[in-house]
Amino acid sequence: MAVGEGTWLVMGLLIALPFLLLALIGILWTVAYPLMLIWAVLFSSKKLDRQIASTTSREASLRESLGRDPLTTIDGGYRTDITSCGIVWTGVVFGPSHWHLLIGFLNNMIGGSIDIFQKVVSAGRAEAMQRLRESAIDNGWDDVINVRIDTSDMAPQGGQGGIKAVEVFAYGTGVKYG
Amino acid sequence: MEQMVQGILVVNTETIPGMMITETLGVVSGSTVRAKNIGRDITQGLRNIMGGELVKYTELLEESRQEAIGRMVADAMSRGATAIVNVRFATSAVTAGAAELFAYGTAVKTE
Repeated sequence: MAVGEGTWLVMGLLIALPFLLLALIGILWTVAYPLMLIWAVLFSSKKLDRQIASTTSREASLRESLGRDPLTTIDGGYRTDITSCGIVWTGVVFGPSHWHLLIGFLNNMIGGSIDIFQKVVSAGRAEAMQRLRESAIDNGWDDVINVRIDTSDMAPQGGQGGIKAVEVFAYGTGVKYG
Repeated sequence: MEQMVQGILVVNTETIPGMMITETLGVVSGSTVRAKNIGRDITQGLRNIMGGELVKYTELLEESRQEAIGRMVADAMSRGATAIVNVRFATSAVTAGAAELFAYGTAVKTE
């Protein structure tokens, strides 16, 4: 027979390889997850505060250099000397850490407002708006009119485990004054 | 400046400043369904434990949205439009792993 024992062994290994890889990932996840969670408990709140501070300072310095906030929600703007326009958009996927999820879960059982989620989503939204300002200025626009902000869930109901995050999507029309 | 997407002016306001809309050519739309790949899911899942921004997903959605806008613009071009006004975006999750990004607006002729 042409098919030797060696060939069968190789074929068997090839079939088993994906399962072995999955098992390896499973083992690594089981070992790594508690460590990551401890890391998150210790540092995720600091990370969030740092993110908020960075967004706020960038926003403040941009506002100071322009003397105004370039974003408005007015449709059509308020000035008549617009020479060119075009769409600008930006999106940010932002999620709470698993430590924040745990705090939120406990808070949810007591009821009332869940401040930690509000803080996380606000941080994401502020970041998206700041990026919209920056991308508008980088593209040569003076202002952004008719700004709309959408927030959509990246982890829909029924999805087991997985990612817990929201996507904040901000868009508007960049305008240039003559 | 990226005001022109393949020669078509795209804005989300109802009118275009300094231009007259002479004819509307109906609603044009473009959509794309993107699944996250398994490699990204694992790395972004790890990143999600710490919270904060998921950079790879931000990039993925940006690419996908660019594609949806590209399809909307192609639709408008096939109708002979010169601009798309009042553009809106919608996002929906088809399943846990896939997101649909949808862009629509009104194709118009301007002068």
